Parts: sequence; C-alpha cells; structure tokens
Amino acid sequence: MDLDANRRLIATALARIPAGDRAALQTVYRLTAAKLFGVVLRILGERGEAEDVVQDVYLTVWRKAGDFDSERGSPMTWLIAIARNRAIDRLRATRTSRHMDPIDSADSIADPADAADRVLEKNEDNARLYGCLDGLALHERKALRGAFFDGNTYDDLAVRMSVPLGTMKSWVRRALIKLKSCLET
Amino acid sequence: MSDTVDHSGAPSDDLLAAEYALGVLAGAERAAAEQRIARELGFATLVAAWEERLSPWASSIAEAAPPADLWDRIVAALPAAGTPAPQGGGWWQSLAFWRGLSLATGALAAACIGVLVYRGAVPEAPPLMASIDGGGQRQFVATVDLSRGSIAVAPAAFAADATRVPELWLIPADGRPRPLGLLRPDGGIVIAIPQALRPFATGDAVLAVSLEPAGGSPTGQPTGPVIATGKLTNL
Repeated sequence: MDLDANRRLIATALARIPAGDRAALQTVYRLTAAKLFGVVLRILGERGEAEDVVQDVYLTVWRKAGDFDSERGSPMTWLIAIARNRAIDRLRATRTSRHMDPIDSADSIADPADAADRVLEKNEDNARLYGCLDGLALHERKALRGAFFDGNTYDDLAVRMSVPLGTMKSWVRRALIKLKSCLET
Repeated sequence: MSDTVDHSGAPSDDLLAAEYALGVLAGAERAAAEQRIARELGFATLVAAWEERLSPWASSIAEAAPPADLWDRIVAALPAAGTPAPQGGGWWQSLAFWRGLSLATGALAAACIGVLVYRGAVPEAPPLMASIDGGGQRQFVATVDLSRGSIAVAPAAFAADATRVPELWLIPADGRPRPLGLLRPDGGIVIAIPQALRPFATGDAVLAVSLEPAGGSPTGQPTGPVIATGKLTNL
C-alpha cells in the first residue's frame, strides 16, 4: 500500500465527517480499524473489552474529526493516539489490581517484540527512533516499552521492575529526555 | 536536568507531554494533562509532537481483525441520521481562545473571519453574521456559510449554566422559532442548517439562544428563557 496515498485518503475522509458524512466515517473505519483494534487489544489483552473501546474510538472520531489538522500531523498518529488513550482510560478504570509479569531490568536477552519492531526500520523515521532507543540503557528501554505497549503506570513499572517509585520516575524521565535529544540531532 | 524539573519538583511541560503521550500517567496527573490538552494549544502541540516521535512504535503493533459486526454496532450508536456530527473540543474551541480572540480584535467581523479561516472555507456566497447579545453583553458570535449550509457559533461572554444547555434557534419573518441545535458553552461549534431551513437563513432572520434541559428542548420550541438574540446581517 502506498503510505502517502493511504494517508491522504484517511485525511480526506476525516475532513468530510464534520458535515455528518457517515460514508466518510466508514471509509476511515475500513482503512484503520484493523490497526486500531490491534493497538487497543495490545493494551487491554481481552477482545470483548477491546471491541467496546474501538467502538467508542470511532464515536469519538465522529465527534472530533474537525479537530484533526492535517498540517499538524499524520491522521494515523492522531487516530492511534485516540485509540491508545481510550484503551488506557479503560485499563485505569477497570484494573484496580491485576497480575503483571515482572520485568527483569538486567535481562539482556533481546525482547522478541523488540526484534519484530525492526521490520519497520527501512523507514527513515522508524530507523531514527530505534537507533535512539538503542542508545538508552536497557532498564530505561524496558520501562518505556512497558508504559507504551502494556499501558503501565509509574506505579506498575516500579512494581514490575522492583525499584522505588521515585527511581522509576527518574529512569523514565531521563530516558525521555535522552530520546528527544537524540532524535533532534 | 535543571530545565526539566522546576523547583517544586514538577516536570517541565515538554516532559509532562512526553509522559502523557507515553501513557505512564494515572489518576489526577493524567486528568490534569488532558485538561491542559483541551485548553492550551501550546501544550497540545507538545503532546502531538511526542505522539509523532513515538509513532514508529505504534506502527509496529500488529493489526488485528475486528469482528465483522463492529461497524454495525458503531453505526447503531451514532446520533440519528441527519444530525450533523457535533464538533468536539479542541484548543481552537476553547473559551479562552475565543475570548482572547474577540478581546484582541474587539471586532466582530474579525472573529467571524477567524471562524471561516479556521474552517478552511472560502465562502462563495457572502457570509451572514450575527452578534447574539443578551444582558448587555455579546453572548455568542455566529457566522452563516450559505455555500455550505452551515452556521459556526462561538461563545463570547456566555457563562455556562450548571443544569441547562444553550440551544440555538432560527426565527424567520413568521416569528416561529426553528431549532438549529445545541451550542457548546465552552467552545465553538459548526452546525449544518437543515435543508428545509436554509431558505430562512437570510438577512431578515433572527438567531436566539435559550437555556434548555440537557439534550435540548423536548417540545421543538424554546421551553427555557431566551437569554440572547441577534439579527443576521451581511458581513
């Protein structure tokens, strides 16, 4: 699929939604539902719940499509952000306590998911992010991954990696600062 | 690190935006960040930049086919056909933004042009506008785009009522109010004018705002107090 063409299709359809164009919403759905369902399912891990959230995501898109500004960013990034945030809201609301596997911060064996990500490295932006992630300490990278892919909070991460909350906040914040600095050079 | 955490130990805006985009915030911190995204363009831009930075990670997540009936469930949950998609609350609709704009320009026309420019619409027909005033103050500013059959309404001095919602009415020469839709107390909204009402959206018509129970007037006529009115005039 031509990514630019796909991006234009999604952006054009989004622009028609504020006028009440249901066919435009359906176009957006067809082009993006599998991705958004994947993103939500990754965070929630339960299909029924993910279906409810994705339904809510497209109702949000229906209401807020007018907020999307194609000058300011990619439509897919905008849609994924809505999906991730809705999934995280659901996670925070329903999981007062849940089982989480510990993360071994010293385990240097490559995360298999980490390797799968790299399929995308041929894209320049992707290569930059992965290059900069490689520059982080292993425990920093694992903390960021836990937050992004598993929807972990600072508290969750502190438990999973067996460090005090303050330490976890320092790790993540330092990692984010390093990441930005690397991406900007 | 001195520029990333202030003296009270709070992270800088950019770091807070990064934490929000990463998804690591919870509870009150997350809610506070969301409030700021809705109200502050600068902060929303920082968050969007971080979402873009992290987007390769999002791209790496495997797709998963949703169930075949999910689209039907979404359609069933949409507002009734013919109801325009209401516009949600981005920064451009924030009360502070609109108040700032109208204060900065002091000019109704400029505010209306701002609405049109934002919408990316260069109207073919000359737009109509109205200053919807009540209680000695401009409560809302409305611009009718006849080429699109829509009306953009932004709050000015209007202060939200705790229990009632503002509803917009079009009152043509016959004096009978026609409902155009609910307004947002805290931001701009673009409403599609129903096809049947478009011939009435002329320079003689009056726009009125009444306060109605949640969901709008149950009768199709104003049931609460009309708090502001304004005549449509050519820009």
